[in-house]
Amino acid sequence: MAMTMAPEAGLYRLMAWLSPAYPVGAFSHSSGLEWAVEAGWVHDRDSLTEWLADLLRNGSVWSDAVLFIHGHRAVAAGDQARLAAVAELAAALAPARERQVETLAQGMAFVLASEAAWDCPALALLRRAAGARIAYPVAVAALAAGWAIAAGPALTAYLHGVVANLVSAAQRLVPLGQSDGQRAIAILEAAVDHSTRRALALDHGDPFGQVGGAGFAADIAALRHETQYTRLFRS
Amino acid sequence: MKATCAATSWSELPDTLSPLARAAGAARVAFKRRAGETVLDTLYQQGCAKLRLPRLETGAWPCAVTVNTVGGLTGGDRLSLEARWGEATRATLAAQAAERIYRSPDGRAARVETRLVLDAGACGEWLPQETILFQGGRLDRDLTVEMAGDASFLGLEMLVFGRVAMGEVVTQGAFRDGWRIRRDGRLVYADALVLGDALVRDRLAPAGLREAGALATIIAVRPDGERLLEPIRALLADQPLAGASAWDGLLAVRLLTPDGAALRRLVVACLSVLRTPRALPRVWLC
Repeated sequence: MAMTMAPEAGLYRLMAWLSPAYPVGAFSHSSGLEWAVEAGWVHDRDSLTEWLADLLRNGSVWSDAVLFIHGHRAVAAGDQARLAAVAELAAALAPARERQVETLAQGMAFVLASEAAWDCPALALLRRAAGARIAYPVAVAALAAGWAIAAGPALTAYLHGVVANLVSAAQRLVPLGQSDGQRAIAILEAAVDHSTRRALALDHGDPFGQVGGAGFAADIAALRHETQYTRLFRS
Repeated sequence: MKATCAATSWSELPDTLSPLARAAGAARVAFKRRAGETVLDTLYQQGCAKLRLPRLETGAWPCAVTVNTVGGLTGGDRLSLEARWGEATRATLAAQAAERIYRSPDGRAARVETRLVLDAGACGEWLPQETILFQGGRLDRDLTVEMAGDASFLGLEMLVFGRVAMGEVVTQGAFRDGWRIRRDGRLVYADALVLGDALVRDRLAPAGLREAGALATIIAVRPDGERLLEPIRALLADQPLAGASAWDGLLAVRLLTPDGAALRRLVVACLSVLRTPRALPRVWLC
């Protein structure tokens, strides 16, 4: 499945795919953060970094990391059945309608943009495995594996993208200044690194036994966001 | 601390059982339709897992009630339950009492597997009572539901940390509760609540349990699931830590409350919306 390229090309591509300019519509989603701000749970830089660190350590973003690793491995092995199982699990893991829309809409948009600009056989494999129900982490993992970009740098770039997008959302919602936003991203580097290492060390067993977490309040925030009266974000 | 199974039950256990295992049990029940009524098809029980079949109550669906005769679980214990709802049957599966998870003496988790199968047109309910996790308790539980596309399912799990009224504080332990629901073979809902070795951190985490003493997830999968969303949301509107959503014929509710009593009140209120006009199984009212 993998295509060959110069080493620096991997960095260039990850930066392109996880850039806010890549047309997946990430800017329109907050994963329930908008409700967390409304409820007063997230109100400054410290409460934001704590919220995001929880998600990375034992919440929805950790589950994304697990799905990413298994999706990457399945594509690297050219294993359509395993990829289908990971994609199906990723779509079913959403705890709320808006969270499912968030991951599937970004995943499908990522696949469409990538087929146009960065096509590779892995994307066709992903389409055969998952049809149109492609969650965002699985889509990014498949493209990275398809271009032979190692799982570690690819997952780091993916998690950075998630963190940067939610920090950007918080800058609009809390609101938070530019410097505080960048400090939050700097503080969360360690949490991203920790989750990446844990995910890389996962065995090849059933991903369902490895996903999950304790992000109950984050899930409730996503549920409540669906009826939030004034809102900037779709989730 | 707890009773052991009767000797006759132990003699039926498989040889592979670890010598440290304190209890094991397996129960299976199936319902079928006969002359327009749901009746018992098969019943099997082994070890400490028992099933009771209370007398049918007016207006209620036939009910099977699970009983764990050792009255709690600890490290290495194993329980399995399988239920099948035959074509066009309607029945409730409930639990006699709260499941208590006591301190694991050896770091191993108790293992509970529940598998529910609903054939075409069946209506099934899984209404266990609270799981109470005590200090140092460890539980690894999986609920698997395989349902036909036109079947209906209502299920819930409630978790309570110790007995708050008794001043018990749970800071250590482990809890994993995995849910998988397949409709016509397709995975439509998956969820895993995982409280690991950082249990106390997860309990305090702002995005985690926010210091709640109890929590619940309720899932309804039925053709009109999305129609139930508005009444459930109206019920939960004043609750600071509760929410509901619906998509693809599936309704999901999550609740965090200060303690088990508040949780039960809220769950009962949700069930009255989701099960109207049927009364709760009698075991819930004891």
